[in-house]
Amino acid sequence: MKLPPAFASGREAVKPENALPSNALLWLIGSFAILLAPQWDRLPVWLVVACGILALWRWLAQEGRVRLPGRWLRSGIMLVLIAVYVATVQGRFTVDTAASFFVLAVGLKWLETRSARDFYVLFFILVYLAGVNFLFQQNILWALVNFLAVALLLVGLQVLNAPDLPSDMPSGWRRLGGLLLKTLPVVVLLFVFFPRMAPLWSVPLVSGEARSGITDTMRPGDISNLAQSSERAFRATFGGEMPAYRDRYWRGLVLDYLDGETWRQGRGERFRRPGRIAMDGGVGALGDREYDVLMEPTDQRWAFALEGSSAISDNVVEEGDDLFRFRRPADSPMRYRLSLDESPVGGDGNELGVAERRRFLQLPASGNPRARELARELEQRFSDEGIVDSLLGRFREQQYFYTLRPPAMPDDGVDALLFDVKRGFCAHYAGATTFVLRAAGIPARVVVGYQGGEPGAGGEYLIVRQYDAHAWVEAWLDGRGWVRIDPTAAISPERIESGLRDAVAGEGSFLEDEVLSAQKYGDMALVQWASLQLDRINYQWQRWVVGYQGQSQMDLMSRLPGGIGMRELGYLTAGVVGAGLLVAGIFSALQLRRGERRDDFQKVLLSWHRTCESVGVPVRQGETPSTLADRLAQARPSVTETARRFARMVNSHYYKAASESDDQELRRMRRLLGTMKRQLRETSPRRQSNRESGPAK
Amino acid sequence: MIKVFRERWQRWVNRRVPRSDSQSFNQKNIFILPTGAGVVFGILLLVMLITGINYQNSLIYLTTFLLGALFVGAMHQTHRNLSGLQLTVMQPGEGFAGDEVPYRFRASAGQGPAISIRLSCEDSRVAPFHIAAGQAMDVTLLVTSAHRGYLRPEMIRVETRFPFGLLKAWSWIRPVSPAIIFPRPVVAPDSGSTVEDGDEDSAQRATIGNDNADLRPWREGDLSQRVMWKRYARTGQMVVADWEGEQGNPQWLDFYAFAGADNELRLSYLAWQVLERARGNTPFGLNLPGQVIEPDHGPAHVNRCLRALGVWGEVPPRDSVAAAHGTRWHETVREKEAPV
Repeated sequence: MKLPPAFASGREAVKPENALPSNALLWLIGSFAILLAPQWDRLPVWLVVACGILALWRWLAQEGRVRLPGRWLRSGIMLVLIAVYVATVQGRFTVDTAASFFVLAVGLKWLETRSARDFYVLFFILVYLAGVNFLFQQNILWALVNFLAVALLLVGLQVLNAPDLPSDMPSGWRRLGGLLLKTLPVVVLLFVFFPRMAPLWSVPLVSGEARSGITDTMRPGDISNLAQSSERAFRATFGGEMPAYRDRYWRGLVLDYLDGETWRQGRGERFRRPGRIAMDGGVGALGDREYDVLMEPTDQRWAFALEGSSAISDNVVEEGDDLFRFRRPADSPMRYRLSLDESPVGGDGNELGVAERRRFLQLPASGNPRARELARELEQRFSDEGIVDSLLGRFREQQYFYTLRPPAMPDDGVDALLFDVKRGFCAHYAGATTFVLRAAGIPARVVVGYQGGEPGAGGEYLIVRQYDAHAWVEAWLDGRGWVRIDPTAAISPERIESGLRDAVAGEGSFLEDEVLSAQKYGDMALVQWASLQLDRINYQWQRWVVGYQGQSQMDLMSRLPGGIGMRELGYLTAGVVGAGLLVAGIFSALQLRRGERRDDFQKVLLSWHRTCESVGVPVRQGETPSTLADRLAQARPSVTETARRFARMVNSHYYKAASESDDQELRRMRRLLGTMKRQLRETSPRRQSNRESGPAK
Repeated sequence: MIKVFRERWQRWVNRRVPRSDSQSFNQKNIFILPTGAGVVFGILLLVMLITGINYQNSLIYLTTFLLGALFVGAMHQTHRNLSGLQLTVMQPGEGFAGDEVPYRFRASAGQGPAISIRLSCEDSRVAPFHIAAGQAMDVTLLVTSAHRGYLRPEMIRVETRFPFGLLKAWSWIRPVSPAIIFPRPVVAPDSGSTVEDGDEDSAQRATIGNDNADLRPWREGDLSQRVMWKRYARTGQMVVADWEGEQGNPQWLDFYAFAGADNELRLSYLAWQVLERARGNTPFGLNLPGQVIEPDHGPAHVNRCLRALGVWGEVPPRDSVAAAHGTRWHETVREKEAPV
């Protein structure tokens, strides 16, 4: 049946709930792409490609060019990708593989993103992915990239909730920016005051691939690989003066067991000295002899320390052999504090126990006969100290070369190095020296760590890089204890005095593989300057934001008045949250009241109604302005024209196309109302008492 | 127990959102809660915080705090989105029973813009609309009608989830003015009016027309007066005579014309007839018990007749205290109610 047109009102177009707005999807895909970037070096290539294809598929489906796969195809794709994943992972379960599985799950979810609900699922996963990214990358640039991706997600959500927002309204970016600005103070306060608790349970963040850095075994060629990397190992700030370049020996670990050609850590039970933990836990300004190390994550437990240090902060423990260990693997940047002892290393001159002596004299049963012969010769001719001196003298006087490109020395490497090739890197010389010393009956060990470090911008701190990795020897001399012996210093004094760059300058082998490293172009002042400035920004970022953990928090709190402990921090946090909410509430209430006061049109209308009632024309419910005006005119013919005009204005405000009630319109209405009131006063009811006033019921 | 609680809640809501044709939204009547997504977001933040604690990762802390603060910020934003908005019933609709009846509202934003506002009533809804600060626009909500009479939606929900959809702020408007629902038209059987033009004597006409009577078997609903009882006595067959005189005046649509039909059906027949006449643009009058509408034609007349059919015998909703246009409910209604 056909209805008259007046009743056949068209329903406003209601989009089906499950259609996602294209622009919102685009934001989401963009964010996904950005979030993959920080993981570029740990994700397998096939996974990145697969994710790209899946996201592209979703986008093309949105554009209507292809169709989303049905359930069977989708399951097939899922199975294939998971099979590939399982095949590549091969049962290793590490944080890396977990992270790639996470990424794979996001990728697969693209094919299932049909409704707003799926959109939210993706949103949540991607936000968490941003969090996961922070586990791996904490440097300021990647952090900004990550935050950008989160911002993209939040803009995408706004688009999802208002896809057809007219362009004259504030855009999602502006709204998000405003929100951020308003909430930033609370975020900063929370960040500063939120108590940094110890981990609730221990989940080691062990990465599958070893990070670059020194390892606990040393083969002759190992350290020269490291020498090709300009990655930062750690940065150190000194309370007093920085030690001279040649004294910057950062001990990491001791290798005391020679297994064929490889030096390892002995398996002996480690002696653990309870750390001299000061009650202040390493809080406050650095003391004169104290220094502070901000170490890049290594996933290992060893910390690097100058000779003769003792632990100040409580995240490092002193172990045997004057080494320091973290309480848990350094899976994120670690900041610790140490102090230099007044007395030099090994000054106590204790006797070496029998077991220890055996441990530091260990040698393989056979191999390197010529080196053993040399040791026997030296042992017969010299005292212990004499042996050391003559060995160093041999390195100094004969034609030994320090090189990053040593030839291969397959069998009897020590012999080859000492007598034939005479070319090697620090690891070669350290290993050979220890071998000869041990063969000569002097307890000796290889120490691995870093040597050197160059000042950062402004000279506030030292930057130690991977190419500063070094290996040297410590020998036990009766009466003197452990004495550091560095054969490299004898062969190439430049390495020890000013670093690797100068030591291998003639060879041109410094950072040959790193084309983009600023360190490679160290002689170009501008590049060097820019690189150091960037490092300074990063250093402050790491120190105050990334490294803002229990230690630094207590450090900061100790500078504030009043003893602030964990509990107080908890109260402070609650206070900050409460105060933030309160201020925001008051603010919005004030804003609202202001909004109500400005409701001028209502005021004018109300005033008219009062006027009507004051002359005995009650306002009836559900009455239109014109009927009210008519009744007013009936009661008081003198205002007929004014009242009708006023009613027309009210009507036009209501019934004409919705338009802004601009100020001019309001002003005219007020003027008209004033006129009406005057006219009413002039024709007072006393003069017209014979006329019936009031409406007929 | 739950029922008691629900009633109590409903009473409480009704106090905050009184029946009114114009409702402006503010702290007093806006409700705000996280959506399902908002709850999941909260759980996500908790998980991220635990991740941050466990891995001692400052940047995860920072992200968590940032998102948490944004959530609180979004709470204000969502609330502000709705507050200051004013909804006024412009025209409660009209329509046939079973159809969706348009309710027209004027929505005007307050100080700030109102973005992505959804109006809904039971399962009918309007596509989200946006109003810039200080502007107004008209929205039509279709309300499903079940039967003829006065239709007044108990609660029309106005809701927004902008900006992030993690929180929803909502309130209701409970309009006073009812929509008028016409009877669902039903094709009427051929029948005439019992209303006479008055120039002829009906009784006389009936007797005269006796000769031209159309005889047909009795059907249910036929009046007993019309049964040819004599014939029944003779043959035992119930036969009814349709006199020509009873065809009546086609100008009048008559409530009593449909013998035996119940009232609702009669009204439906009449509605169909009204539409039928409207299509031909022929003048007609409507004769309802207690109400007679003189013959006329034109859309206004049609509408008047349909309305009369719609509300025939219906009592207007009781608490219809419509606020006059533009007045706030409190100022006017309380004064009115005081003496009662």
